[in-house]
Amino acid sequence: MMNANLKTNQCIATCPACGLLCDDVLLENKQNKLNVLNNNCAKSVAFFMQSLGKNLNETSPRIADKPATLQQAIMHAAKLLKQANKPVFTGLSTDVQGFRALYNLSQKTNANLSHMNATSMARNIKVLQSTGWQTTTLTEVKNRADVIVCIGSDIVSHHPRFFERFILKDGIFIGAKQREVIFIGESISKKHALEGVWILGCRTSDLADITTVLRALVTGKTLKATEIAGVKVSDLQLVADKLKNAKYAVLAWVAKDLDFPHAELTIQNITETVVTLNQTTRAAGLPLGGSDGDTSANNANTWLSGLALSDAHVEHDCMVWVNSFSVDKLPPKTDKPLIVLGNINSQLEQVPDVFIPIATPGLDCSGTLFRVDSSVVLPLQKVRENNLPTLSEIVSEIEKLL
Amino acid sequence: MITLLKNGKLYDPAHNKNGVVDDIYISDGRIIAKPNQAEKINQTYDLTGKIVMAGAIDMHSHIGGGKVNIARMMLPEFQETKTYSEPEAHICTPNCSHNATPSTTDTGFRYIEMGYTAAFEPAILPINARQAHLEMGDTPMIDKGGYAMLGNDDYFLRLLSSKANQKAINDYVAWILAATQAIGIKVVNPGGISAFKFNQRRLDLDEHNVHYQVTPRDILKSLSTAVSELGIAKPLHVHCNNLGVAGNFQTTLDTMGASDGVPMHLTHIQFHSYGTEGDKKFSSAAAQIAEALNKNKHITADVGQILFGQTVTASGDSMMQHLNAKHANPKKSVIMDVECDAGCGVVPFKYKDKNYINALQWAIGLEIFLSTEDPWRIFLTTDHPNGAPFTSYPHLIRLLMDKSFRNEAFAKLNLDAQAMSNLTSLNREYSLYEIAIMTRAGAAKLIGLNNCGHLGIGAQADITVYTEQADYEKMFAKPDYVFKNGELVVQSGKVVKVVWGATHVTKPAFDIGVEKGLSEYFEKYHTIQCDNFKISGDEIAEDGRGKIVVHTHKPSKRSIN
Repeated sequence: MMNANLKTNQCIATCPACGLLCDDVLLENKQNKLNVLNNNCAKSVAFFMQSLGKNLNETSPRIADKPATLQQAIMHAAKLLKQANKPVFTGLSTDVQGFRALYNLSQKTNANLSHMNATSMARNIKVLQSTGWQTTTLTEVKNRADVIVCIGSDIVSHHPRFFERFILKDGIFIGAKQREVIFIGESISKKHALEGVWILGCRTSDLADITTVLRALVTGKTLKATEIAGVKVSDLQLVADKLKNAKYAVLAWVAKDLDFPHAELTIQNITETVVTLNQTTRAAGLPLGGSDGDTSANNANTWLSGLALSDAHVEHDCMVWVNSFSVDKLPPKTDKPLIVLGNINSQLEQVPDVFIPIATPGLDCSGTLFRVDSSVVLPLQKVRENNLPTLSEIVSEIEKLL
Repeated sequence: MITLLKNGKLYDPAHNKNGVVDDIYISDGRIIAKPNQAEKINQTYDLTGKIVMAGAIDMHSHIGGGKVNIARMMLPEFQETKTYSEPEAHICTPNCSHNATPSTTDTGFRYIEMGYTAAFEPAILPINARQAHLEMGDTPMIDKGGYAMLGNDDYFLRLLSSKANQKAINDYVAWILAATQAIGIKVVNPGGISAFKFNQRRLDLDEHNVHYQVTPRDILKSLSTAVSELGIAKPLHVHCNNLGVAGNFQTTLDTMGASDGVPMHLTHIQFHSYGTEGDKKFSSAAAQIAEALNKNKHITADVGQILFGQTVTASGDSMMQHLNAKHANPKKSVIMDVECDAGCGVVPFKYKDKNYINALQWAIGLEIFLSTEDPWRIFLTTDHPNGAPFTSYPHLIRLLMDKSFRNEAFAKLNLDAQAMSNLTSLNREYSLYEIAIMTRAGAAKLIGLNNCGHLGIGAQADITVYTEQADYEKMFAKPDYVFKNGELVVQSGKVVKVVWGATHVTKPAFDIGVEKGLSEYFEKYHTIQCDNFKISGDEIAEDGRGKIVVHTHKPSKRSIN
């Protein structure tokens, strides 16, 4: 419907630059250069305005840093994989279609799969596999959430438009002005510009204690201590009361920001607080922060293999680094052969044995991605002209040579 | 190229063939009439003495989509290979993956190895339909399809609560079918999933959802009418209110009357057939339910049999699953509110034959099977994986066909449960013909798959060949041959060729004007664009593996002007 008013060089695109997958981003294409006209954020602007290589050489594959034909590069990659007994496919920053292809290749080559976000994903998966949880999705948050507690994260560093799209908008059952937002965490105030929110400052490393106390208070326990890690227990009691009196409280966290040992126990404090709240009122957890196709890779791996992606560190004798979305993310250091299937602008410190530039889903080719809440899956479009091959095409060519 | 299946004993209820010895000719994936003498027969299978049926169709099995994948993710322990002992060994067959949460590949393989050639995902959340199709797209060997869940979505409840006319409802229902690429409509705990989000903990048939002020009965009436008026073959698929609650049989009986005679299908009815008699205030109401099924010709049902062992329940019914979470085994669960559209609850269960409730649940399911007279209106399901993994079907078939086997199993149950069941007094043994109705002809007729579930000319050549054995479990676990679209894909219970099945959908016409309201609604309240909600046929047919088969049906005479 909205598309009816667009100029011929404009389109509404879905942005894969973070896990929110905003699909209302207005793009303009001038001589194959994109401009984000509306509903933008710093991440979407950087994503859509990235160049298609500086010169022609850059769109060509490279073997040991020397330009090669696509066929030569594919053959070399296949040769390295054939020589390997235990390759690792890492990065895995791609969409569902790309992941499916990689999964098949991993089966044929006895490869391990490891996503660039494996460590932070595992924090959530450990909770899921230990006690489970009660969670919600973004449309429920937008239309229902009256108390939103963000624990250990400003959220906006990961999802610049989170508050704009879901909290500062009127929902069906709640007006924007009726909502209450509380942050608990470190240097939150420096990173977001929300007004009228309540910030309980504390060190990230103290969140384990603070969430334990919050959980105890929600359960109805009384504490002798008056302060915990610099936070007044009376303040936490107030948070607990607000949660208990809310009609639909949402407790959000970003596993990546809870970067300390045994962070899964802190996440479990949050999710078990939600379980307790749900004995009398309604509340839900909201795990945020997904990026680089992690939610897609994890879901696809789960239905294809029966198991979630693992964070186990394994030995390897050949590394394949796949990175479609975040050009600044670097492959792990390796002294083994390195094959890079990546965005044309990939930044690399180590010269790979083979580098094959691939089309980025949502920019150079169509695709499919899971949103951070796992419930919504959106199609991605091709929005600029290019002659880059897709990851699936490259992978299936390699597979044929094995 | 013509393939001849010679001299088989055909069980083809759609053509009243009850063990008739006949030949079947196959060409281009279809069953054809006997060719003339001049035409060359390329391949002949001598099936003398063998039992031949159409490929079986599972009309209700959770094979794809969000909650199934959450179950896989939450339960890595299910993927381990274990040596099972009694009673879990009960449900295992030579082909059993011992797995309530099979991967997509495992799902397709285990089904086809048992002679099943199609399975239907009964609970596609419209907002999550793309995931369901992605998973089904990765499920090899079998045809598939799904029912889209409505009746707890804010858009529908607003229409109903604002007294929108039936045409507006019909247009929305038809739009949902097209957008989600589904073949039927399901309602789960009508109004209850939504009510739970407003902190209601139970919702009876005539109780109001506090926000919308509509009752489950209103919802059932509106949706069943829409399905009927749009001419969708598959009757409204109803998961009643009060699942699992002692005394819920009354809700189930009342639900049968909620559609004023318009067809409805009550799914996993075993979970809705509980009384409150006895010391433990939990009893079988199978007799009342079966009697009502026999009387109400507009109602069909599938059983949702439980079998003993470890499994996981994956349901859209977040309200009742939240209540059930305290029984989780292992002790973990996922409960979700989803997109003002639906809900989800995943709770692992271990059904034990020495547990009073579980033992009685087992008996209740079988009582319903044996007391329901018309095999065309009752269907064989375990509500996979909720009652048991689908790999236990051969075991279940033997329980239905073999009274002494059944009574031996009954004798191992919790003694108090035995005292509360009349199972041993039910002498019925299902015949091969009746099994073929329940698992083939009846299922195809119910869903509206005109070319499946039978062996007539023009049928899709999905054919299963068995060797008759006294042990029906062994017989149904391991067919001699399975043909999918005319190709031999299973031999002696093992896959010999990997193929990819089609996705069955239906697309009744609707007034395109319905999108105006929807677009405005999406713009204002949703978090994605209306256009992105819709799944294109190309998404399913991508990479040449998938294919869509559209079934057309005539709108009913009651149709709106």
